Amino acid sequence: MKKLSSLLLINLFLISSLFAQQNVEPKHFQQQIDCKTCHKCDVPTKDDPCLIACPRVKMLKTYPSPESSPSVLIIKKLEDRYNPVVFSHRIHAQMSELSGGCETCHHYNTLGPILSCNECHSIKRLRDDVRNPDLKGAYHQQCITCHRQWNHKADCISCHELKKNGNKINIQQKIAEIGNKLHPKVKEPTKIVFETNYNKGKLVTFYHNDHTKIFGLDCVSCHKNDNCIFCHDKKDEINYKTLIYDKPIKLNLAESERHKMCSDCHKTSDCNLCHKEDIAKPFNHGISTCWALNNFHKQLTCIKCHKKNKFIKLNNQCISCHKDWTEGKFNHKITGLILDENHTDLDCSDCHINMEFIKKPTCDNCHDEKSFPKDKPGKLIKKVKP
Amino acid sequence: MDRRNFLKAAAIACTAAIPAKDLKANEKFKIDEDRVGVLVDTTICIGCRNCEWACKKAHNLSTEPLEKYSNREVFENKRRPNNKALTVVNQFYNPKNSQLPIDVKVQCMHCDEPACVSACIVHAITKHKEGPVTWDSTMCIGCRYCMVACPFQIPAFEYDKALQPKIMKCDFCIDRQKEGKLPACVEICPTETLTFGKRKDLIEIARDRIKRKPNRYSNHILGEHEVGGTSWLYLAGQDFSKLDFPKLVSDPAPGVTESIQHGIFAYFIPPIALYALLGGIMWINKNKSGEE
Ligand code: SF4
Ligand code: SF4
Ligand code: SF4
Repeated sequence: MKKLSSLLLINLFLISSLFAQQNVEPKHFQQQIDCKTCHKCDVPTKDDPCLIACPRVKMLKTYPSPESSPSVLIIKKLEDRYNPVVFSHRIHAQMSELSGGCETCHHYNTLGPILSCNECHSIKRLRDDVRNPDLKGAYHQQCITCHRQWNHKADCISCHELKKNGNKINIQQKIAEIGNKLHPKVKEPTKIVFETNYNKGKLVTFYHNDHTKIFGLDCVSCHKNDNCIFCHDKKDEINYKTLIYDKPIKLNLAESERHKMCSDCHKTSDCNLCHKEDIAKPFNHGISTCWALNNFHKQLTCIKCHKKNKFIKLNNQCISCHKDWTEGKFNHKITGLILDENHTDLDCSDCHINMEFIKKPTCDNCHDEKSFPKDKPGKLIKKVKP
Repeated sequence: MDRRNFLKAAAIACTAAIPAKDLKANEKFKIDEDRVGVLVDTTICIGCRNCEWACKKAHNLSTEPLEKYSNREVFENKRRPNNKALTVVNQFYNPKNSQLPIDVKVQCMHCDEPACVSACIVHAITKHKEGPVTWDSTMCIGCRYCMVACPFQIPAFEYDKALQPKIMKCDFCIDRQKEGKLPACVEICPTETLTFGKRKDLIEIARDRIKRKPNRYSNHILGEHEVGGTSWLYLAGQDFSKLDFPKLVSDPAPGVTESIQHGIFAYFIPPIALYALLGGIMWINKNKSGEE
């Protein structure tokens, strides 16, 4: 047996490297799917991978948009005591964008048409090969793990209507009811203050809007594994839904989990960077880095300058980013001031001492009684703010 | 001689004095390589208790309608299988996610080397080579040796019946299996928490699940080795002792032993010597009446 499995492993490795050359998932044998999902035989080889025929062009993943996905699915393969389940697919697809994407349910996500569940999950419970759960098991594992977290129930009638005295549900009416439902737009909080157990700084202030607007993060950058209960918990009436983030809140997460949310971008080794006694002010480039952003720079997202998400100190000479702003080439017009004839041929440093363009320029090098901005070395075409 | 040793000696004396089942006689019994079992994955179970209902239905025990089983309040107390319910589901706090409590179905484990069988002095309990351990009411004399011997506290006694009380426990739905059906609980379970199959396949599957999701499972298949192996196997996300499973060694439980340390043991040992004696007399009488 050991020999067989090691042989299997070697083969899988070979195939995986084959896939790797095609620039596909390099470790496909480590995926959480059973080898038998794709390979018919026990020992697939490079020459004979004995692949099961399914719509697999490459081992790539496909992400249809929720809007293009079916709005409602009728689950009735296993109809017995209960009426068919009318499953609001689209709203679930939409919500899944914040909680793991299509693969949350379509965990075997190929390029091409979505496989239906019963391709791998047998509709029979009594069967020889019990490695995959049967269809009934697979459906329920998929649905109830989430649903029971937020409604704290595991009853059947939440989803199934009981077939009593031959009553049939009106499927068309159901579809009309839930077919076009979409999740209401999520209102974004400005800031959230977290109350922590850390003695030397109880409060951590998180500016949500800064992260999305200034730092340019997508919702899914952080909310990729959220569950409905992150916002809705039916047991707890005072839940996140009604919480207006005006009071410090406590996170019900293990310490490592809490820090993981920030540590992808922030250093979490220095506690007092985030933990303060009071509510912290929003991020200010001038205060934090001693280099205040002027009007032009304020409009940029961080990664425009801090490439590769590295928030380290940059050289603040103009030329370090604006490569073509060299002496003689720089067009002074873009500052809003067109230099007149007398001034065009001067060196930059004649007015901007030490090439420090942030500071007020001087006229003293040539003129005795002139000063900027009262006197101007040319024509102002728009108002220049220092 | 302290109390424990005295009891042990008494128990040995009793078992020697009456026609107890000789463990060695078991040697001829060959257990089936392909015997069946059930893998209970407690990380999947949702505590819907449909299995409890189905079990009662299949055994003609009185039950409320299935819809009543969604009541979660029953989980406030820990329950044991008894004569009214051959299987029960208990709920435990999940330290990994407080919103997802751990639900654990309990029933007879159908041990490969069952202590209850060894303990039964009249051979009323049988280990079938296909896996199940069943109990025959026509032979039982009500001595309750099996209750004391079982390392999982499974056999239960009908306390409310004065006349001919029965011992009850899960019979692995042997009658249904003979008809080619699944055990009732396995058939109804919505999530397939209960996987029915050959025991050796189930062990492979369990190992595979642990390997694929090492964070989800603790690296232990309960019943693979415990008390010599059991037909029902368990997977869990944490230590089994936190889910009220007894700590067990891999040696088969040798009938009545001092290593069984649950409440019933302490409570029942004194009457046991007496029961054994009475049991012997009843057994003889029973055989006599059979001859008449
Ligand atoms: S669990 Fe107890 S009752 Fe069931 S077979 Fe094992 S010893 Fe017997
Ligand atoms: S196997 Fe049968 S008797 Fe045992 S718990 Fe399941 S339904 Fe009840
Ligand atoms: S039927 Fe299945 S999921 Fe429900 S309580 Fe029983 S074992 Fe758990």
